[in-house]
Amino acid sequence: MTARGRVIIAALLAAAVASAAASAADAAAEAGPARRGGADGAAGAGGVRGAGGADAKVAAITNVRIVPVVGAEVASGTIVIEGGLIAGIGAGVAVPAGAEVVDGTGLRAYPGMIDSYSQLGLVEISGVAATVDNRETGRINPQVRALEAVRYDSMHIPIARSNGVTAAVVAPSGGVISGVSCLLRLDGWTNREMAVKPMAAMHIELPGLGGGRGGFAAGRMGAGTARVDGPGILAELKALFAAARAYEKRRDAAAKDARLPLPEFDETSEALLPLLKGEMPAMISVHGERDIRAAIAFVRDEGLGAVFYGVEQGFKAAGELAAAGIPVVLGSLYDLPPVWEDGYDAVFRNAGVMAKAGVKVAFSSSSSSLAKDLPYHAAKAAAFGLDRAEALRAVTINPAEIFGVADRMGSLEKGKAANIVLADNDILELRTKIVRVWIDGRECDLSNRYTELLEKFKKKGSNL
Amino acid sequence: MKKTVALVALVALAAILPPAAAFADGGSILVKNGTVLTVTKGVIPRGDVLVVGGVIKAVGENVAAPPGVRVVDAAGRYVLPGIIDSHTHIALAGTNEGADAITPEADVGSVINADDTAILTALSGGVTMVHTMHGSANPIGGANVVIKTKWGRPSEELVVTEALPTLKFALGENVKQSNRALQPGQAQRYPATRMGANAIIRREFERARNYMAQWDRYRKAAAAKNPAANLVPPRKDLRLEVLAEMLRGERVARCHSYQATESLEFMELAKEFGFKIQCFEHMWEGYKIADELRAAGIGISVFADFWAYKMEAAEGIAEMAGYCHNKGILVSINSDSGERIRRLFNDAAKTMKYGGLSEDEALRLVTINPAIQLGVDRIVGSLEVGKQGDIAVFSEHPMSAYTRCDMTIIEGDVYFDRDALVKEREESAAKAAAPGGEGGVS
Amino acid sequence: MKLSARVSPALSLLIVAAAALVGFASALAAVQPSAADVGPTYAVRGCRIVPATGPPVEKGAIVIRDGLIEALGPAGKVKIPGDAEIVEADGLVAYPGLVSALSNLFLEPPAPAGGQAPGLAAGFPGQARQAAPADDRFPPGPGLLVLDQLKPKKASVESFHRAGFTTVLVAPTQGIFEGQSVLLNLNGEDIAPMVLRNGAALHINFTTERGGYPSSLMGTIAHIRQSFIDADYYAARQAQYARSPAGLKRPAYDPRLEALAPFVRDRRPVVFQCNNQEDIKRALKIVAEFKLNAMLAGATEAWRVAEALKKSPVPLLVGLDFRPPATSKYATQGEELRKRAEAELYPANAAALARAGLDFALVSGANADGAAVLRAVRAAVKAGLSKEAALRALTVTPARFLGLDRALGSLEPGKTANVVLVKGEIFDDGAQVAAVFADGVLFKYAEVSK
Repeated sequence: MTARGRVIIAALLAAAVASAAASAADAAAEAGPARRGGADGAAGAGGVRGAGGADAKVAAITNVRIVPVVGAEVASGTIVIEGGLIAGIGAGVAVPAGAEVVDGTGLRAYPGMIDSYSQLGLVEISGVAATVDNRETGRINPQVRALEAVRYDSMHIPIARSNGVTAAVVAPSGGVISGVSCLLRLDGWTNREMAVKPMAAMHIELPGLGGGRGGFAAGRMGAGTARVDGPGILAELKALFAAARAYEKRRDAAAKDARLPLPEFDETSEALLPLLKGEMPAMISVHGERDIRAAIAFVRDEGLGAVFYGVEQGFKAAGELAAAGIPVVLGSLYDLPPVWEDGYDAVFRNAGVMAKAGVKVAFSSSSSSLAKDLPYHAAKAAAFGLDRAEALRAVTINPAEIFGVADRMGSLEKGKAANIVLADNDILELRTKIVRVWIDGRECDLSNRYTELLEKFKKKGSNL
Repeated sequence: MKKTVALVALVALAAILPPAAAFADGGSILVKNGTVLTVTKGVIPRGDVLVVGGVIKAVGENVAAPPGVRVVDAAGRYVLPGIIDSHTHIALAGTNEGADAITPEADVGSVINADDTAILTALSGGVTMVHTMHGSANPIGGANVVIKTKWGRPSEELVVTEALPTLKFALGENVKQSNRALQPGQAQRYPATRMGANAIIRREFERARNYMAQWDRYRKAAAAKNPAANLVPPRKDLRLEVLAEMLRGERVARCHSYQATESLEFMELAKEFGFKIQCFEHMWEGYKIADELRAAGIGISVFADFWAYKMEAAEGIAEMAGYCHNKGILVSINSDSGERIRRLFNDAAKTMKYGGLSEDEALRLVTINPAIQLGVDRIVGSLEVGKQGDIAVFSEHPMSAYTRCDMTIIEGDVYFDRDALVKEREESAAKAAAPGGEGGVS
Repeated sequence: MKLSARVSPALSLLIVAAAALVGFASALAAVQPSAADVGPTYAVRGCRIVPATGPPVEKGAIVIRDGLIEALGPAGKVKIPGDAEIVEADGLVAYPGLVSALSNLFLEPPAPAGGQAPGLAAGFPGQARQAAPADDRFPPGPGLLVLDQLKPKKASVESFHRAGFTTVLVAPTQGIFEGQSVLLNLNGEDIAPMVLRNGAALHINFTTERGGYPSSLMGTIAHIRQSFIDADYYAARQAQYARSPAGLKRPAYDPRLEALAPFVRDRRPVVFQCNNQEDIKRALKIVAEFKLNAMLAGATEAWRVAEALKKSPVPLLVGLDFRPPATSKYATQGEELRKRAEAELYPANAAALARAGLDFALVSGANADGAAVLRAVRAAVKAGLSKEAALRALTVTPARFLGLDRALGSLEPGKTANVVLVKGEIFDDGAQVAAVFADGVLFKYAEVSK
């Protein structure tokens, strides 16, 4: 069964990588029962983590072109995977005795990509409300946590993973304070097992520019004027934060001094305190130029760690963003500029302008069903002025730094987690096929909903 | 701050200039030195395409420009036929006549809006022709129309009269309105099931047959030597007239469907009444009945991988377009969207990864294949002498993720010119930044 | 000096009341005041006369009797009758009363629209027509007579008088086949005496039906076409049956088709509301298909389709709302362009039509504020329309479009005494209407000192 699973992948490969695929098939066969193929009835299951001793396995990818993202490329080298980590990497690295050897001839090794904003595990079929869990009702919901609702066996996770996305921020949305996102490795049998950061960021949303009168999307979204009422909402947030700080002061004082009245439990304040204490950043959805400036002042005044999300008019405030040291996670580039005057290519060139000004940028799929397209957003920005190397960083090391996990992921470096993607070409290219993927040193099954359904119906005989 | 506002204003006004400058080329242009992807006649690594009077006069190497003809240097760029979108709803005032389940009389050709800026969006993605369609609210929707994206030209000049007349049909969730909340007091529209959708289509074709028979009898009676004194003609019914065209084979079906069963049953209806299905639209389960589709000679017009947005789209697979293409089905990748339309080439490229198509094959899915589906492959869809001069120029190979459309030409006239736009933007910015320039005015 | 030393305000009121009491019996008879009308005779003296059909008279006199212009000419040549009230009008200019061949005067504004059909412009008469019927007793349809819904208001009359209007066509505002308009001479506050012609035209709007078919513009176009086909078929069946009923099933009576038939079979006038350039072409197609006797109203983008209009000449009732329609490329490419278009492009529509030699009238449309209408006319003049062309477009041309040019639209002996006395030239900023005669009834609006 497992061998058959490998054959599926082999069949998908171009002739140029046929030999590599064949060796992959062999390797998979060796791994035996530790793996689960696609056609065993667990269609669409997300967890493919190897059981038992598979983790401890030592493996070496040899003769591979290494694109480490941090550090220089190696035309042909070896990566040693041991204990879930990259134990050795480079041109002259020896293959440890007994290691599983993966011949990477003709292939490139990349760090697994990180989706900086997704709905993976929260949205299954967007039009079926029963399968949608990313948007709580009401405006102020700091107490809700994405991790607690993540459907770890979402059909979308293996699809994203099979395109080289190995980690993703899963974000709640809606209202003004949407809740807390998590950063997941896209491998695991339970939601908790997948969590790299259970509490990645507190999500705050300022009004979008969508549907602004005269915008490209005016016909699509209905007319209205571009909203710039962010400052009003920020004032409301300041009041909430002040209340939370006051609450904390009273709560802590009462805890120390029994003579002081113990305040009633305040869910909102309690949930906001980790943000206010700097235990997690605020991820602020902010779109228009004026709101961006207001939000910069807001996080400065409140002393928050911050990541901005969306930032469609970031190219107009790139200098201020860079000076404030606030990184930017771009929204999906599958969108039209909300403001006509910004030009038809505004969402495409935005990242390039910001990066040039010194803003750290990262891309996002902002999706679940199209989380696999993460690399193409980066490539699209590269077509409109973003340096190609920076485009790659924006789906690897930049998000790792933004979310405070650069010590563990985001690049191929000795000592980091072995999140490795073997590709037959440039990982941001549409035609590129992902051959093998490791997450924390465990090799992933690349079968998914697509391959399972395809295989199933390939069996249908033609009686015509 | 003030400066920025002024710059914005200038860019806005600049944005409408290129269309005004279009058609300055008089339908003639020579695009030189590019990598020419003819689609049907191979690749010319360094070639030229000459358009005179709107028609391609030469495709080859070292083509000389006739006197007065504008020359565009495409060195280092890729020259391909204008991209064709087999399924959109752009440039229309309204998409659905949803008040009734059967509305073939609603002709989208009667509500073209040549001012829709989605036309500009399409041009910025190299799209030169679209099949703009009635929506999917009804089992039998309205007649569709094929237009070129000639921004700035009057609506009647956009219409491609050579195209095959089509009628929109739709099945499944949209027509049974399963995702629509009823207003208080509002009755559920019939049909509310796939059974009903099939039944109502059958009923309408039966009515159309009857209508045709009534007219036949009347005409015969009226042409008789001694016609009856009180002969009454049938009432002319615009709704049934369109269905009669279907039954006479003068119009073909474009049917929005998702599931295998509903599609197979629509094919049964087509057999029963003798109408032609040109294409299934979206058709996320098309791979499940690929052999049946191929045998029936029915094409599909689909998304590359936009899926899982509703129940009937949850068994879509990104491999479908490529798989069906490899099965011998005529496949096109469509946008169905005023946004996706500008990255159709990206979506086509996905079939290389999911389906193993070559670059050339993938490009066909947004050029010659939709042209065949629309019945216009004799005039567009590839770069061949005698075809209309609809051309897109891309910065990289159009199937690369790093590519960008730089110029879009229709019948020899430039309708989109990125270099010119960027130049204007930079000049405006420079002007705004200059001391004493427009910067202070806002 | 006072405008009219010899007519006291009290007397003016008396005159108005008398006219109202007398009333006018039927549409065409209204042009000829009935024999019972014994209002005062007036002699307007000393004004400059701009008759619209001929050269101006610098120092002229106009004699008004029994609702008609009895005599007109240079002051020295016109004999002032002995029974005339003298209106001293030195320094004033006399114009024919302006005609708005499309308005919604005296109609209650409909409730706010629940939803707007795609493709229909904001801010145009058509927009108001999206709304729920203000009064359910009058369901829209070809048989509806808007006259039945009118609620005349003195303030509205005054607002229009002060802008120089004495005559308005009032059109219904709801539905696709909105119903039939009425032509009014604004001679008082009672409706019946004002009526020049009821059922003046059938008004058609490219809108949708609320909560029913058609719900889209394309459905609406099909519905209009099918309705004309059905009306024609209906009338043919009725005629066939009337000729020889033997052996024929009697065709059922249908009030809707019955009302519609004369417009498709007898070329009674039809007005299409066209809110953007595409609407104009859509209307032209329907007009050609059914050979209708049609006028196109709104038409604020007519300049963009001037070529098509030259090929198929049709009277245009050009609106004065300069906001680009919501679907227009001038509205969807940013605020800057939209504002510029509103300020520069749309006001120049009429001037462009005049240059193209197209036949057009200017109309007040949905605008109930006379002063705003006059300001908009002045904006059109500033944008290049000659004052002479503007005056024709508000007098002789609409009178001709409405088939009343023998009675209305110019200052000539024998014509209806619709006269506006203006301090200054009417299309200049700051010019003020001092007095209005409507059907010979005097309305005084300013105490103008020399």
